[in-house]
Amino acid sequence: MGGYIARRILLVIPVVIGILLLTFMVRAVIPTDAVTAMYEGQITDQEAEATTALIRAKFHLDRPWYIQFGYYVRDVARGDLGESVRLRRPVSEEIGYRYLNTLWLTLSALAIGIGIGVPAGIIAAARKDTWMDVTAMTVGLLGISMPAFFFGLLLILVFAVWLQIVPVVPRGGAALLLPALTLGLIEAAPISRLARSGMIEMLRRDHIRAARARGMSEAAVIMRHALPGTLLGILTVVGLQFGQLLGGAFIIEVIFGWRGIGELAVKAIQWRDFALTQAIILVSAGSYVAINLAIDILYVWIDPRVDYTRA
Amino acid sequence: MSAAASLPTSRLAWVLDRLWHNRSARIGGGIIAIILLCAAFAPWIAPHDPMAIDTLRRLEPPSAEHWLGTDEVGRDLASRLIHGTRYFVLICLITTVIAGVIGTVLGLISGAGPLIADAVIMRFVDVLLAFPTILLVLAVIAILGPSLTTAMVAVGIGNIPGYARLVRSAALTIRREEYVEAARALGASELGIIFGTVLPNIVSPLVVYTSYAMPLAALAAAALSFLGLGAQPPAPEWGAMLVNARSFLFTAWWAVAAPGLAIFAAILGLNLLGNALRDVLDPRDA
Amino acid sequence: MLSRRGLVLSSAAIAAASATPAAASTKELRFRLVEDPEMLWSGQSVSLTVNTVVGTYLVERLVYQGTDGKPQPWLAESWTFSDDAKQITFRLRGGIKFHDGTDCDAAAVKFHFDSILDPARASPVRPIIAALESVDALDPLTVRFNFSRPFAPFMTIVAGGAYGINSPAALQRLGRQYGRRPVGTGPYRFVSWAPGSEIVLERNPTFRQLRADAVNKGAPYADRITLSVIPEEGVAFSALQTRELSAAELQTDTVERLARDRNFRVVVDENAKNLSFLEFAFRPPFDDPRMREAVSLALDRASIVRAAYAGYAVAVRGPMSPGIPGYDEAVAQQFGTGHDPARARAILAELGWTGTGRGPVSKDGREARFALRSYANPVADRALAVIQRNLADIGIQVAITTSDWGSFYPSLLRDGWDMNFMRWTSFDPFVLVQLFRHPGHRRALPRFDGLDEALAGIETTLDPDRRQVFVSEAQKLLLQNRAIVPLMTNHNVTVVQAGLQNYVPDAFNLVKPGDLRMANWA
Repeated sequence: MGGYIARRILLVIPVVIGILLLTFMVRAVIPTDAVTAMYEGQITDQEAEATTALIRAKFHLDRPWYIQFGYYVRDVARGDLGESVRLRRPVSEEIGYRYLNTLWLTLSALAIGIGIGVPAGIIAAARKDTWMDVTAMTVGLLGISMPAFFFGLLLILVFAVWLQIVPVVPRGGAALLLPALTLGLIEAAPISRLARSGMIEMLRRDHIRAARARGMSEAAVIMRHALPGTLLGILTVVGLQFGQLLGGAFIIEVIFGWRGIGELAVKAIQWRDFALTQAIILVSAGSYVAINLAIDILYVWIDPRVDYTRA
Repeated sequence: MSAAASLPTSRLAWVLDRLWHNRSARIGGGIIAIILLCAAFAPWIAPHDPMAIDTLRRLEPPSAEHWLGTDEVGRDLASRLIHGTRYFVLICLITTVIAGVIGTVLGLISGAGPLIADAVIMRFVDVLLAFPTILLVLAVIAILGPSLTTAMVAVGIGNIPGYARLVRSAALTIRREEYVEAARALGASELGIIFGTVLPNIVSPLVVYTSYAMPLAALAAAALSFLGLGAQPPAPEWGAMLVNARSFLFTAWWAVAAPGLAIFAAILGLNLLGNALRDVLDPRDA
Repeated sequence: MLSRRGLVLSSAAIAAASATPAAASTKELRFRLVEDPEMLWSGQSVSLTVNTVVGTYLVERLVYQGTDGKPQPWLAESWTFSDDAKQITFRLRGGIKFHDGTDCDAAAVKFHFDSILDPARASPVRPIIAALESVDALDPLTVRFNFSRPFAPFMTIVAGGAYGINSPAALQRLGRQYGRRPVGTGPYRFVSWAPGSEIVLERNPTFRQLRADAVNKGAPYADRITLSVIPEEGVAFSALQTRELSAAELQTDTVERLARDRNFRVVVDENAKNLSFLEFAFRPPFDDPRMREAVSLALDRASIVRAAYAGYAVAVRGPMSPGIPGYDEAVAQQFGTGHDPARARAILAELGWTGTGRGPVSKDGREARFALRSYANPVADRALAVIQRNLADIGIQVAITTSDWGSFYPSLLRDGWDMNFMRWTSFDPFVLVQLFRHPGHRRALPRFDGLDEALAGIETTLDPDRRQVFVSEAQKLLLQNRAIVPLMTNHNVTVVQAGLQNYVPDAFNLVKPGDLRMANWA
């Protein structure tokens, strides 16, 4: 087991190198740079070439891409993510609060997703093939069957305009409510599906049958015996989702004006602002790799029976 | 699901029979059948030319002439929805084929091929998974230039890792089965074993996985329209229609509702059919 | 969907709630921002949002542009040009203080422009005033601008938000953080900024309005102004209805419904200075001006205006926006084209293009199928739908490709397109120089006799009357040669609560926030 964990950690190294290489390639092959993208419909990029050259020189955009990448690797090694051409500020400042915003959104959404999805899945499993099962599973499909931006707009319409539970223009913490709800309802669907199938499988197991035979109430069987095993499976999947979502749920962030990593990612590419783009890749890919590693290690620790030779 | 055709006939018949008796399969299958019919016969079904503009009659509410009303440049919404089924079907098929074929080949080589290939491919897949999907997709589009084709390729590439992982783990399990050992003992080549013996036996999990992945891919393509990077105007692609109409939510709701509900119904159809397929094909997920 | 009665009830309820004594004690106005500004630092960004926010509330300029296009005194009370037109000397007003209490004098003006000129800072604004070489503070109230060549558009450019004067003391103190905590001389001063959510500003109590076109010469009426970031159109629409916003710039489609509601007033900026137009790569067959004329005749501009902007735009025949001072309507009428598809078809026939009446026409075995490129935008999509249809009606098929500006604009330098759909905003006829000086901004423009001479005159002639001759000449030559196909100028539309007074956009579409007040304020 210890050997497995050590090997698992070593495997991170090629992945990190691969991510750097891919970042490298993205930068090398994307046409145009931040300076051209900045002067949208305002100034032609051929007039005053001498002065646009100043900007390029300041941000090393006039150097070949491998030299630029060299600067980047050197700066990152020093803990410096560089300066954004468009924002005229250190990238780390912008990424910092955006990452926290995305983290908050992700955690709230997953909490909502689990809060709705797990009970729905349990009820569906306990009342398998009844109308409750069908209803829970169909309602679960609503969230994932709509484009996120349409779903988000509908939630604004329902909660802010019709019901007026939240202000149309939310401020402070209230601003988290609708985006978290939108994302949470989308995440709830796969979680409920997973909870249902996991629970059904659990309920078939021998020790559950034995508990039932001893006359234990159905609720107690579910809560005490079937639920813990089911939750483990759910946590694995939720953990992976968590890692992916830290890359930002861009549509939801854009629709609700939530300043997270996803919204920034879209802008960074449109701006051709490579310092920003690279930093986003670094933090989101880093989070994903770290969380994945943590889940894998956690899994071995909880369930050492799994065969890890080639799985 | 063309893959189902390679199942043994008796099993295929059994699957179809089970599906026929499954309520969500019938609803989902019904929706998908309607979409396929519309896509096949769009020019004959659509009451109007989906491109015919009339700027004097923009955003008219539903009427006898325009069943679902008109859009922001006076085109008939019903006709655009009907023609839009072609784009929907196209997007579903192309994204799935790109991701499915490349992912399956990578997964098979990884799971049943030499160890070194496994290591390389799996690290590649790890990199793709860790790389933020939206940036991957936007980068592909920035390089190739925006078009519906690019959008489909980008979404397809984004879905490769899922297929690769699934196929690999299925292949790992199967290659230890007795009949694979038997084939090897009879002198079958590794390539022959991979494609002749392993592939037919992972069709079930592939179909199940596709039923998850296909609706998500269609939604991802719609999301690209949100950034103006999907289907090009004036193509009646539902995602683009919804995005362009969304500012009319409060002034001409039908222009938003029509493409919005079309996408919703189509994706719901795929999801319902997918759920049913899972129930039938994957006994663990009953 | 939303019932009208429900809306009236809900807005009444909120109006009642905000009428409580606590809410009435602070006079607050709330406006919409379509996007969060990248920074609030005049002189370091070319973003329209950035320069609108800083330029409206926080900083003031040397001059502003009157609706007649002439510069008017603001921080500068007068100015003179040197005989060789390479120096402009401004005389400042005394006694103006920044929000931090320091003086806004010649040294501050010099400091601001030096920060733009500083190569180490590489300001994105720098290329726009490339001809400016240095700035001298001659005495505390006199500042001289030195140019490498006569640069006529400077007096217009310098009235823009990016050239508003920042406090040198604050800039030196805050360094790179200045963009998050700006300090100017404007009617409002910065309080707080929740990124992505809102910017809060408060009244500058010592403010003295120096602009002659303002109603209120003293401190602003409203105690506080909150700018809320609302990207989604539907959300801004609802926020107006629930009175969470005092005013909001809206897309023209949503406006139609509020225009009929007497709780709101629609403010249309008819000085708008943008132009949407079609350009050519001048590849055959569009190297022939008659071919380009056929395209121009085919287009139904009235229909494009309706489709794209619900009528909040004007069809334009001239090659420059009618909102830019110097636009020559007589030239546009004489040399521009209207909508005449029959003549367009006749021209195609004369040029040897034949067809069956269905599908594209063809000539020498080549079908009339061409590539049209555009930036991606829902409004542009609608205009393109009409353009595509109009051209199909005369037998020309165009395939449309749209992408974001960073892909679209550079792609025009490479081959593979025949026409593009552009929209350009500028405050000065200098835009003609930027776009059409040989070889053109996309390096595809052939040399037209006399055009470059006229454009040189626009760039270097400071005298307004003499300059106008060149401006008119350039417009005429562009039209005669069918260099571009002008389409329309759209008007920005702001919907304001009926009680909001003095919401009057100036020549640059900026309001004077010191003038703004609600009718029911004491």
